[in-house]
Amino acid sequence: MSTTGAGEVSRRTILKAGAAALAVPAAGALAGCNDSGGQQSGEKDAAGPLTLIYLGDATQQKAFNQLFDAFHKSHPKIEIKATGIAAGDWATFAQTVSTQIAGGKIPDIVDVATEGQRLMASKGLLEPLDDRIAADKDVTDPFFNGIAPNLKDWSKKYGSPDGKTYYIPGGYNTVVTYCNTDVFEKAGVDLPDKDWTWDEFKEAGLKIKSKTGAFLLPLGYGFPFVDIMPWLLTNGASTLDADWKTATFASAAAIESATYVKDLLDAGLSPKPGGTFDAAAQFAKGKLATLGGGRWPTLDMRRLNMVDKTQIVNWPTKAQNGSPAGWDGWPILKASKRKNNAWTFLKWMMSKEAGEFYASIGGTNVPALTEVAKSDVFTKDAPKGTTLLVDAINYATPIPSPDQGAQMQAAVTKGWQAALTGTQPVQTALETANKSIQALL
Amino acid sequence: MTATVAPVRPSRDIDGTPRAGGRSQWLAGSIFVGPALLLFVIFVLGPFIAAIVLSLFSWDMLTPATFSGLKNFKAMLSDDLLYKALGNTFVFALASVVTHLIGGLLLALGVDALRSRAASYFVRTSLFFPFVISWAAVALLWKYVLDPTFGMGTYYLTKIGFNPPDWFTDPSWALPAIIGIDWWHTIGFTFVIMLAGLQTVPGQLIEAARVDGCGWWQRLWHVIIPMMSPTIFFAAVITFIGAFQIFDPVQIITPNGGPENSTLTIVMYLYQKGFQAFQVGYASSVAILVFVIMAIVTALQFWFARRWVHQS
Repeated sequence: MSTTGAGEVSRRTILKAGAAALAVPAAGALAGCNDSGGQQSGEKDAAGPLTLIYLGDATQQKAFNQLFDAFHKSHPKIEIKATGIAAGDWATFAQTVSTQIAGGKIPDIVDVATEGQRLMASKGLLEPLDDRIAADKDVTDPFFNGIAPNLKDWSKKYGSPDGKTYYIPGGYNTVVTYCNTDVFEKAGVDLPDKDWTWDEFKEAGLKIKSKTGAFLLPLGYGFPFVDIMPWLLTNGASTLDADWKTATFASAAAIESATYVKDLLDAGLSPKPGGTFDAAAQFAKGKLATLGGGRWPTLDMRRLNMVDKTQIVNWPTKAQNGSPAGWDGWPILKASKRKNNAWTFLKWMMSKEAGEFYASIGGTNVPALTEVAKSDVFTKDAPKGTTLLVDAINYATPIPSPDQGAQMQAAVTKGWQAALTGTQPVQTALETANKSIQALL
Repeated sequence: MTATVAPVRPSRDIDGTPRAGGRSQWLAGSIFVGPALLLFVIFVLGPFIAAIVLSLFSWDMLTPATFSGLKNFKAMLSDDLLYKALGNTFVFALASVVTHLIGGLLLALGVDALRSRAASYFVRTSLFFPFVISWAAVALLWKYVLDPTFGMGTYYLTKIGFNPPDWFTDPSWALPAIIGIDWWHTIGFTFVIMLAGLQTVPGQLIEAARVDGCGWWQRLWHVIIPMMSPTIFFAAVITFIGAFQIFDPVQIITPNGGPENSTLTIVMYLYQKGFQAFQVGYASSVAILVFVIMAIVTALQFWFARRWVHQS
């Protein structure tokens, strides 16, 4: 018996075919990453719809689709094919988008949150927008002059590692406290108009607990934007310094913040973390006095008919007012073949008309244009004190988002969890986490 | 006595020329096997080869990959978190195998002893039912049951005098809690396998043992278990492989690996490295490690099986 040539060729052919099959998506991805697009603003765009990816669950997708429909009505020649990714957080969203890009599916526009802006810009995936901004001053000047100066500066500082402009800022979120006025009234506790201190907050919680049995607020560790950052920032602390180069999670002020939160937990003012507490539902039932958040809890208040029984006040303070700020940025991908259409869409997004429309249909963040955010369109059917969300952008701190943002968030979460649950002493827990964070930078 | 063997039609004539029937059989076989083979190549072999290739590169999914040789594998040697994840995974897998084999066998024996056919069917269905529920639903269900403030389980345990721990935030209890949840969810599958194996044990042998004066334990130890050894071996192999790949409940119940990484499993670590840290090359090398470990453990299981599994 002899080995036939036919058998060997067959095996080789199979291996070659397999290798080719594997190489195609990888090559597509890499080619996509290197593709400069090659289009100038004067050139005509490729045919086909403008593809856009954004983060949104079913409710948010409904609002976004209405927004895109409104754009299509004003620009009938440009069709938008938008894909809402129902990721629970921006880290998961970034993973999904990265995987799609790696697979060769490159959208024209991606709605990127603060947490992913630096990462995407640093990878050379985005088209610089400076020339287009300069060429369309009639649209861009009113927009950039109409948004909070902080938002403009941060977009440049944190989203443009090489000094070029890659993102048009969309809406933003800051964090405030939503208070159930019924619960406060039943407990005989007066709500502040605007500001209160940590001590006043705890005192209110103890009184509410003893008089009504309601929890003061849900304390956790899984969502640093609300669970952790406000406590740090209202005490002048943070997880990173302003340049996102040095970990500061174990500073004396940060340890004091974690200790205070642990005290609230130990006093029984919050359900124990690690469970399944439905804050909005318990808030509506009168079992919860306050909950934290940005604009998005307003949608829950509307859904639960709680708008009139809710008042927004600033986050309780120790040393100063403080809030994290996160905003979404709208870039055009370098590999896009429809950059002109994409820019037309971004220009429309900068308009007052688009901001008002998005606010009116129930967007989950604060419109970038201050004029729109302070108008009735935004404050209508929203809790009293809603404009504090807008004011907060003036004292807020960008949510620290270095390139290894998802890993850093995991380290912060673990440290805060260990501190709150008593797995480790507060100082040890934060120091351990701080070392992990520093190692990632 | 002579054995009768059905004649096999040779695929070639005496001069070596392929017969028409041989080609048509080959074609028919190819048509039947082709789709499965294609799926295997696309979804198993392809990704496997891709993982091997990627493990030799540094790639963040957004920029071109760069060849890094064995750097990823070298980095694994000094990765403490990898060892932690491996340790947790082995603990989980071993606990899973032991509890599933013992629990599945005992449940099978109990159900097999039921006289009432209706009761038997009811119990079989009840035991298997959790297995058909998705892991996501099971994970959320148990998160509700064991909620430290409002959970039904916590409530009843308190009522009968226990002071339950905060299951998912206590590093000592998070992994045992997930082992328990996994047992509840998947024991039905092991039970069904064990029951099927139990029903292949010849009744004459058990009856003969009984006539010879063997008690229940002796019948179990000297007759039933040896006769069921191929089934037990099969259950042990697939339970270990399944347990080693645990991801869904751990990720849902204790995201990021739980308190002090106490529930961080190797597949979860792989996921974190690949899709959170965007270190696809490193994640691929971890995937290769998982493959090698499972291959070695399975090979060892087969090697030891020669000593205790009765194949006849």
